[in-house]
Amino acid sequence: MVGQPTKRETSIGFGILLVLAGIVIGIFIKQFHYNRAIIGGVLEGDTSAILTAGLSGELLVEMAEGMVALNPPEIFGPENLSDKIDGKAELYLSAGFLRLLCQRFAEASDSNSWMEGFVYDMGTMRRAFAVYSVQRRADAEKIPGMEFAYRTENALFFVHGRYYVEVIAAVTTEEMAEAMRSFADNFIGKAEVQGGRIEELALFPREGLDQDGITLLISDAFGFDRFDNVFIANYAVENVQLMAFLSIREDPSAASELAAAYHGFLMANGGVDVKSDVEIPGAKLVKILDTFELIFSHGKFLAGVHEAQDRGPAEKLAVTLMQNLSGVGT
Amino acid sequence: MNRREFLGRAAKASATIAATCSFAYWLYEGAPPGPSQKGHAPVVLPDFSIPDLRGRMGIVTGRDRIQTLRRALKAIGGIEAFIKRGDRVLLKVNAAFATPPILSATTDPQLVAEVARLCFKAGASSVVVTDNPINDPASCFTLTGIAEAARLVGARVVMPTEESFKPTTVRGGALIREWPLLYDPFVGVNRVIGIAPVKDHHRSGASMTMKNWYGLLGGRRNILHQDIHNAIRELAVMVSPTLVILDGTTTMMNNGPTGGSLADLKRTNTMIVSTDQVATDAFGATLLGRTVTQLPYISKAESSGLGTADYESLNPVRESTG
Repeated sequence: MVGQPTKRETSIGFGILLVLAGIVIGIFIKQFHYNRAIIGGVLEGDTSAILTAGLSGELLVEMAEGMVALNPPEIFGPENLSDKIDGKAELYLSAGFLRLLCQRFAEASDSNSWMEGFVYDMGTMRRAFAVYSVQRRADAEKIPGMEFAYRTENALFFVHGRYYVEVIAAVTTEEMAEAMRSFADNFIGKAEVQGGRIEELALFPREGLDQDGITLLISDAFGFDRFDNVFIANYAVENVQLMAFLSIREDPSAASELAAAYHGFLMANGGVDVKSDVEIPGAKLVKILDTFELIFSHGKFLAGVHEAQDRGPAEKLAVTLMQNLSGVGT
Repeated sequence: MNRREFLGRAAKASATIAATCSFAYWLYEGAPPGPSQKGHAPVVLPDFSIPDLRGRMGIVTGRDRIQTLRRALKAIGGIEAFIKRGDRVLLKVNAAFATPPILSATTDPQLVAEVARLCFKAGASSVVVTDNPINDPASCFTLTGIAEAARLVGARVVMPTEESFKPTTVRGGALIREWPLLYDPFVGVNRVIGIAPVKDHHRSGASMTMKNWYGLLGGRRNILHQDIHNAIRELAVMVSPTLVILDGTTTMMNNGPTGGSLADLKRTNTMIVSTDQVATDAFGATLLGRTVTQLPYISKAESSGLGTADYESLNPVRESTG
């Protein structure tokens, strides 16, 4: 004779069913967050989307006017970007890369005088700025009339809306420099993009700022795995080198929680709290590896100064940064 | 519950478990995506090193890479010590990208030509130049200048085709298992020389002689970037070369492995030739301004008995061409 299950047995049964349901839901959610670098290789690439984004191979030819195409346009997606740029693909993928369109062009009179245009569709101007800024070459020459652009002896790099563009030449002649500039001008004139601005860039104090040295770190800033979307800016104030950082979080509580978490990260790695009289509510000053780290949050802003050699200039810069942040809505 | 009910329930539970396991087994895909090449007999590369000549290293500074190469080879006994009459030589170059030589993202074509020429001079009966580039092979070998340079000295460029690959499993390897290896160019070869530039690498920190063997793999090899340091260690297990040549005449300091701007490059004016690929990369790290601890694959390779990270222990011959 089978007896009726007890309440305890029923509860255990429901508990097991709930755990199994949780596992199923977990697997269901996880399958949408696969590692593209691993799984991407066996997926079919969708190379058509870039054409609908207002950019096509034909248009690229127009941008290189007067030159001869050496190969058909190539299009790469997240699943095969590494087929073009190998180990550097991770940099773009982590920043939200969508498509790459590229093609080589040569001068009509000399096929050895060639260049290749790389148009990375990053989806947003912010992401395009991120990959532009982390690769910016030192001592590069700014290009007049273009906000995020520079050139080197053989190449030209710029951001136009959602696109990060590289034009890389095989030679360093004046003719090629002109051809690259022409490509850039044509691109800006012909590739339609939505206007936009990056709010954080205007929030850093101006005095001593290396305006062309602001970088957006998409992930793992300063070795802390929770530090994403962090802008860093370099300063030279009275011969002292400083680095300020700034990140806009979802809301004030997220900013203060992350500031506390970063403080905890520093302490776990040998940091020591140092008393500071800096006039920023809740600011923490930490001495670590003979440098000073100043962290604070203000509204939805998380900010501070990274690896300062002296605390005085770091505190001074932090106060100025705080004043700038106080001037905007939080 | 009586005995009959117990046995009945146990039988049902067993049947359910058996059905579930059978269904899971039916769905299970044992082979990883991409690399497996069922139907081909597995291959393993032979050891191309020369036992009596292990642990040799020459480091020569100078602006002219041809001069520094010659001096470095001479410092470790001359090319004749490694290449004998009738030898069949394979040069594994880095032709990964369809980029011009001035970017130093690939092996310098003049260096390839000089090594091939010296091999022929020493009596080699054939010299094969090969790589499985990241980009289209024909464009890579052409635009890097390697195809033309090799052709001019009588070396044969072998570009990969689908039939060139055979599956290989690295001894003790966890990553390179049944992986497509660019094997055909090795058939009949008895000497292997790796020739690589010194480059920054976004994933591994550096691309030098050991990372250069990555170009012998086919399949979705970019998966290996997820565990790049162990992958490079396994690559170094996979290939025991006769010699490695690390060209540090110009070093790609940033934005590797593709670079793109001359601003990424620095004149470091150094040529390293050695029979120890671990020691070579350990020295190469210094040209990048990095330490061995910043490039974990070097220590991993050393721990596997593939060479020494303490390159000074080899008493490298140091010279300068001025």
